[in-house]
Amino acid sequence: MADRVRVRGVTIHRPIIYGNTATVLTPAERETSHYQDHTHRWTVAVRSAPSAPDSDIVGGADDLGYFIKRVTFKLHDTYPNPTRNIDKPPFEVSETGWGEFEIQIRITYVAESGEKATTLYHHLKLHPWSIAFSLPNASAVPPEPEIPSPENAAKLGPVHSWQYDEIVFTDPFQNFLTLLTTHPPTPLPKTSVNKKPIPFHSCNPASLEASLKGGVPEFTSAMEKDEADRLEEAKGKIIKEQEKWRGILIEREKELERLQKLLASKE
Amino acid sequence: MAVSASDIRSALSLPSSSTLVQSTTPAPRKSQGQITKKPEGISRELYALIGPSAPSLVAHLAKPRLKQKPNFGSGGKVKWEWRPFRNAGRTDSLQLGHWVKAADDPGAEYPFTKYNVQSQSYTYSQEEYTRFLEDKDWTKDETDHLFNVVREYDTRWYVVHDRYEPPPDGPTRSLEDLKDRYYSVCRKLIRNRPWTGDEASKAQLLNSYQFDKDRERMRKDYIASLEDRTPEEIAEEEALFIELKRLEQNERKFKKERDELLRTLLGIDSGLPDIVAEEDGLSALSAEGFKKRKKNANEIEIPSTPSNIISLGPPPPKRAHSAKSAAYDAQHCILRVEPPASSTTKITHTPVHLRSFKLPAPKAALLPKVTQALTELGINPTRLVMPTRENCTRLESLIEATTALIDTKKVVDRVEQDIRVLRVRLGRASEGAEEDGKEGTPMEVDGGAGAGADVDADADADAEGEVDGRAQSILSTRSGRGRKQVRYSSQILSMPI
Repeated sequence: MADRVRVRGVTIHRPIIYGNTATVLTPAERETSHYQDHTHRWTVAVRSAPSAPDSDIVGGADDLGYFIKRVTFKLHDTYPNPTRNIDKPPFEVSETGWGEFEIQIRITYVAESGEKATTLYHHLKLHPWSIAFSLPNASAVPPEPEIPSPENAAKLGPVHSWQYDEIVFTDPFQNFLTLLTTHPPTPLPKTSVNKKPIPFHSCNPASLEASLKGGVPEFTSAMEKDEADRLEEAKGKIIKEQEKWRGILIEREKELERLQKLLASKE
Repeated sequence: MAVSASDIRSALSLPSSSTLVQSTTPAPRKSQGQITKKPEGISRELYALIGPSAPSLVAHLAKPRLKQKPNFGSGGKVKWEWRPFRNAGRTDSLQLGHWVKAADDPGAEYPFTKYNVQSQSYTYSQEEYTRFLEDKDWTKDETDHLFNVVREYDTRWYVVHDRYEPPPDGPTRSLEDLKDRYYSVCRKLIRNRPWTGDEASKAQLLNSYQFDKDRERMRKDYIASLEDRTPEEIAEEEALFIELKRLEQNERKFKKERDELLRTLLGIDSGLPDIVAEEDGLSALSAEGFKKRKKNANEIEIPSTPSNIISLGPPPPKRAHSAKSAAYDAQHCILRVEPPASSTTKITHTPVHLRSFKLPAPKAALLPKVTQALTELGINPTRLVMPTRENCTRLESLIEATTALIDTKKVVDRVEQDIRVLRVRLGRASEGAEEDGKEGTPMEVDGGAGAGADVDADADADAEGEVDGRAQSILSTRSGRGRKQVRYSSQILSMPI
């Protein structure tokens, strides 16, 4: 029972990625497939963030089975058995289909953690990213992303849509903490060793170019640093503006005071 | 008659003279050979005395030749010419002239410009004052006046103190009071304004504005008292100091003798440390031996302060522990925070979550504006590419800064509104008075009126006959603005003034 004591003041996290890859089905495959209107084959997965060397999948360097008991993917209702439970790594589901929909991912942790399951959502991406993809909360209605024809899509190669995140455990139980510390995560590489492109993300429009070049993307710590730089730059700009406006404000206040005095002297 | 040896030999016809002569001639030649090398700089006899030893020779040779005048390197003549120059540090375009070597680069900047350093002066807005600069001893007017004087006299405190005029019914301010108020205001401003760069540089800047009033006063009093000592007092202090030193010396001597005695009497039972540990310099250098020695020394010397031992024990091992554990933590992605001291309150457990669930979001009231401002900069505040801990904190501070900016803009708008209203009232108050001097204000009066009430606008438009046409157009534009009392342009970041 001493193991069930929580270690206070300790927060431990594990980086993961979740998302999907999708490829266009070749005409030959479509002939043989059971469903004539399926156009793509896709795989949705939850993996560790760093990629294994010489692998052709995104991420997956570490086996997450030591703290994840089960991952449940809830697909669209039109799929048979839409609730897919994956009880052992690799935590992924492969299917064919024609449409993009939201997949609910539920991660259940090992019993030692004493934690409830976490739910996250991922929009299944089948069609290639396009430049017209604007930020989600832009005021104008985003124009329809042009869906290329099957031949063009096949030429563009597989489509990747991945999101990095970190699972944060606060005040873990002692035995869970020891379990976690016996499996330290591989750190993200600074930059891709095999010159793999960085994955596309809607917050980083610059990554669109890289993703269109093709090839299996890889998460690197350079991406994190890049985002940090962008945030710092934005903050610097804001603070400059702030100083400018503060100067204006002080000036205006002086003007106001002057006018007030003038008015008081006249009355 | 002097008879030489050679005479005798020739008389006796002895051949031995030749051998004798032969043996002696090499000898004189050898000794002559030694002497043929001419020593330089010093006389021959002196050289023979010193011998060919280098140090004394060199020292002798290195003597400066004082007969000649030293040549400072400019054997040739240097041409100087009179050139006009400008000091980049001046605000006016004053042109002065000076003598410069002709060889000097004519385009070079005036070298003393860089010494014209301006000190950083702080100004604050009304809101900042009401929010965190309030003080019970200082009114706002006084604080404003203080800042003006400080800025004018470039924080030269003695001048500032002299020129500072307290308000008629206010207390007289000493130099320390002024400094204290100024520095505390600056520190509060630094702390509360959004800051680019990292925390370390902010802490450094904060440090530079440290000022402890009581300590300063005490220090100045102390120095003054030191100055004011009479010669007798100085002599007394010296005598006391010497006595103290002598006492310490005696104490040390007595202690040593006592230890010696104890050791000879009791040997190993004396409880004193081994001679080896004390006298061996090498072991004293090693950390362990040093610690032990200190610990033991403390034990003997001052048995009444056990806290010394305790303080020596933990710190060195703890330092090593934290360096290793930092690496360990980083490897396992662990973050340690101080658990809150209050163990009485029931600590609810934060459930496991994804870091992106807890992304900082701007406050609801300003949410649309903040998001708009951030999208203009290319940042999406709802999602991060890599939501790591550091990036999340960065996003948080970014949102804070943006909120502050939007607040400031709001206040600027409000103040401008007030200004316009005041101008209207001023215009009306002085309407009966001179017309000529107020040519400028009627335009603004129209504008201000438009912003205020439309009724006034009509009255004023009638009053200005000749500028009717223009007034009308200004009215139309201004009143349009006025109807929307709070006006924000679609482009928040480049709002025209």
